[in-house]
Amino acid sequence: MLNKKYAYRLEFMLVVSALIIFLLIGRMFYLQIIRGNYYSRQAEGNRTRYTRILAPRGIIYDCNGEELANNQPGFTVSLAHRSAYKAETLERISELIHMPVPKIKEAIQLHGGSAEPVRLLRNAPPDVVARVEENLRYLPDVMLEVQPVRTYPNRQLAVHVLGYVGEVSEYEIEQGIYDNLKAGDIIGKFGLESFYDQYLRGTDGSYREEVDVAGRVVQIMDKVEPKPGQGLVLTIDAKLQRITEAAVDKQLRAIGARGCAVVVLDPNNGEIKALVSRPGFDPNWFVNGISEKNWNYINTDPFHPMTDKAIAGEYPPGSTFKIVTGAAALEEKKVTPDELIYDSGRHWLVDMRNAGGEALGWINFKRALSASDNVYFYEMGNRLGIKLMDKYTEDFGFGKKTGIDLHGEASGLIATPEYKKKVFGEEWYLGDTFNTAIGQGFTLATPMQIAEMMAAVATDGKRYKPHLVSKIINDDGSVAKRFEPQEEGTLPVSQSTLNLVQEGLEAVTEEGGTASSLKNLPVDVAGKTGTAENPHGLEHGWFIAYAPAKQPSLVVVCIVEQGSYGSISAAPIVKSILEYVFTTPGAKKPGKTASSGKNSGSNSKKR
Amino acid sequence: MRLRARKYFKHMDMILFISVMILILIGIVLIASATHANIPGPRRYSFVLRQSIFVGINLLLGAYLMRFDYRILKHLARPLYFFNLIMLLAVMLVGKSALGAQRWLQIGPISIQPSEFSKAIMIVALSAFVERRLNTLTDFKSWIPVFLYVFIPFFLVMRQPDLGTSLVFIAILLGTMIVCGFRIKYFLVMGGLGLASAPLVWRLLHEYQRNRIRVFLNPGLEPYGSGYHVIQSMIAIGSGLFFGRGLFGGTQSQLNFLPENHTDFIFAVAGEEFGFFGVTLILLLYLIVIVRGISIAIHATDDFGTLLAVGIVSMFTFHILVNVGMTSGVMPVTGVPLPFMSYGVSSLTTNMLMVTLLLNIHAHPKTLRF
Repeated sequence: MLNKKYAYRLEFMLVVSALIIFLLIGRMFYLQIIRGNYYSRQAEGNRTRYTRILAPRGIIYDCNGEELANNQPGFTVSLAHRSAYKAETLERISELIHMPVPKIKEAIQLHGGSAEPVRLLRNAPPDVVARVEENLRYLPDVMLEVQPVRTYPNRQLAVHVLGYVGEVSEYEIEQGIYDNLKAGDIIGKFGLESFYDQYLRGTDGSYREEVDVAGRVVQIMDKVEPKPGQGLVLTIDAKLQRITEAAVDKQLRAIGARGCAVVVLDPNNGEIKALVSRPGFDPNWFVNGISEKNWNYINTDPFHPMTDKAIAGEYPPGSTFKIVTGAAALEEKKVTPDELIYDSGRHWLVDMRNAGGEALGWINFKRALSASDNVYFYEMGNRLGIKLMDKYTEDFGFGKKTGIDLHGEASGLIATPEYKKKVFGEEWYLGDTFNTAIGQGFTLATPMQIAEMMAAVATDGKRYKPHLVSKIINDDGSVAKRFEPQEEGTLPVSQSTLNLVQEGLEAVTEEGGTASSLKNLPVDVAGKTGTAENPHGLEHGWFIAYAPAKQPSLVVVCIVEQGSYGSISAAPIVKSILEYVFTTPGAKKPGKTASSGKNSGSNSKKR
Repeated sequence: MRLRARKYFKHMDMILFISVMILILIGIVLIASATHANIPGPRRYSFVLRQSIFVGINLLLGAYLMRFDYRILKHLARPLYFFNLIMLLAVMLVGKSALGAQRWLQIGPISIQPSEFSKAIMIVALSAFVERRLNTLTDFKSWIPVFLYVFIPFFLVMRQPDLGTSLVFIAILLGTMIVCGFRIKYFLVMGGLGLASAPLVWRLLHEYQRNRIRVFLNPGLEPYGSGYHVIQSMIAIGSGLFFGRGLFGGTQSQLNFLPENHTDFIFAVAGEEFGFFGVTLILLLYLIVIVRGISIAIHATDDFGTLLAVGIVSMFTFHILVNVGMTSGVMPVTGVPLPFMSYGVSSLTTNMLMVTLLLNIHAHPKTLRF
């Protein structure tokens, strides 16, 4: 009998069987007791489909209520968060959206453990959306999410003001700037979108629903409505911005230049009415991830389209700086308005000459400023000395940021002997003082600083902080925050000095001035040309102006990179802008229209 | 007649019978839970109904078969064996295929899975075959006919392909070899040869089978495709925690994330809805069945009875190990149902017949002559 002969083997089988059962019980203990919570979470993740409802970003309006940045609905193809996906699902969706399976797997892996859907294709084109929609019922784990997509209806218009949005990077989150965001969230990356991001962003909503394996909704578990972002009402006038950009582009084409910056602001309150930097780009490029071609353009163009030259471009102020030198000399009584100084074409102490080689003979202050005589201002520099000149330079706002509501503003540079010593290891010579006096040499300024200088002259010494946003409005149209004009103090220059400078600037656009091409405008314009030396190529041309001369409501500052003389390159642009503002019947004149513009902005929202 | 019935009843292994009946009832409850939400319309109850009907039929059949002495099977062994081969060939030629394998024969309203019955036939045929040769089974050579005897149906089932069932044959053979005194050194040599021939076996497997083994061997378990089922199953079991989510309360099974949840993955439903407490009870019930089976083998009054009991126990143990191991992610996925609990008429009938056979061996200590 087997069971007698091999009884021990039967007992062995018994032991082995019992062992198997207890091992299986052990396995259950591991899964259910030790790892139970982990698997419970997984089961919860399986049965719930969590979707974030993205809050639409706040709308950006110009001062007349025109939408400069808004949101359009876009479809995102996503995979619901799952602990595992069927291979067929991945293959099907791969075919539908033309995305290789390995890339999808990569996206899933990158996504990690978040309960968010895995977003595969943002702002999918209509044909892809249609294809996916038809197949949704076969693809239970695939979702079509409707999400607001940031859109800039005017494309390039005011791009350096508005900026653009993009996905927050892992790095930015690690920096702790955006503590409540997750990778892939949309944030402002540039311009006002970035500066006012916390207002514009809003709060995302969400809903959770219970689904079965086929993706059918069993019940909605909870829903939180999104809170839209707050809107911005800008000081920018879109019509004026358009005119300005058109004038810039036309002029750049005509003279074959590429880089340019224009600041148009109201000197009475610091409101910026138009702000241009060239070359530009289309902010819509960034919304869905930028194409390689556009990325290369933006990164390799020697004229740096991404730089807002109006606030971050640092240029020698050139002859526009004679305003500072002149005001300082008059104020310090180093010269009287009537004192005649002899211009023989060169200064008698240092062999430094006028730009065109001309010699104007005996000239007074007004003539010197309107004709932009170098020899006269060399002498002013000589009489002032670098110390005093630097004091006034600082008073006029050079060497520090203007405080405009944009990131990335440059502070420029004030020429000092200390600076020269530190950077070049050389002593300060009288020639350096001469150069500084006419805005060449070490001094650097941004167009915004130049605009502030000009505005201070236009308002008889009152200085306002430049700003782009007049108010932040809630979703219902009510005003959340109003930005009043912010006075930055007054120039320590007497009214009589300012009057003399103003007269000189007015003479610039008269017959015999350096910008007499503006003499036929229906409004008196005070202006100043400038030509900034550029070691890398042709000079940069400046033209700065305010108008009307007697009651200024507008300051316009323009620099054309490598455009040569300001009177040829920059002045025509300024002329077109002033022409539009002061001759077009429909064009609203700044100053008194600024407030009505603000009202119409909020009214259109309330309705 | 009545007297005889009482006599069988008296000799019946009640512990075995009751354990099995409890398992079957738990199975029906779980089938109900697994199907009520996921199967649309009137078919919803058809699984519970069919399983219940066949439990009844099999109980009657078993009661009837208890009248016979299991020893008559000795004479049926050879015809059964050939019937089995014909059946398996029929599946290959005219069978219905599903999930890439040809396993079903359609007879009337029921599709039967001949490979389930062939397990039972294998036990009976092999026991008879070995019993006839017991005295000659000494050296390795004498075992070769036995191996060939198992290999032919093994090969046919494997080509269906049904790796799980074909491996059951090996488990049955293994149990038989152990109890017949197959020398330990032979075991070691064969084990070594088996490992050495693994690459060859690998090539004989179907691509999907290889994938399952790959996924099983890869501890990271690729969450796409082949790993999907196992992950869902492990989630179901793990989320059951100690007391389970309650009958009909398992989201994995109710929302159909768990695949095949009324058949091969029914144990995961048990894990999710009854928790650690419940599955431990279930596994202990299985242990009772196994212990009773081995006890019957030990107390059998003839070698045929011992061999049958050992074959049956080997089959059950293998099924439990592979099925529970598969649902909990420690065994590769093979289409092996859980005895008594998985939905499936063929499997249920086979297993109940095998229990009947165990009860019969227990109830017939002496050769009864009619």
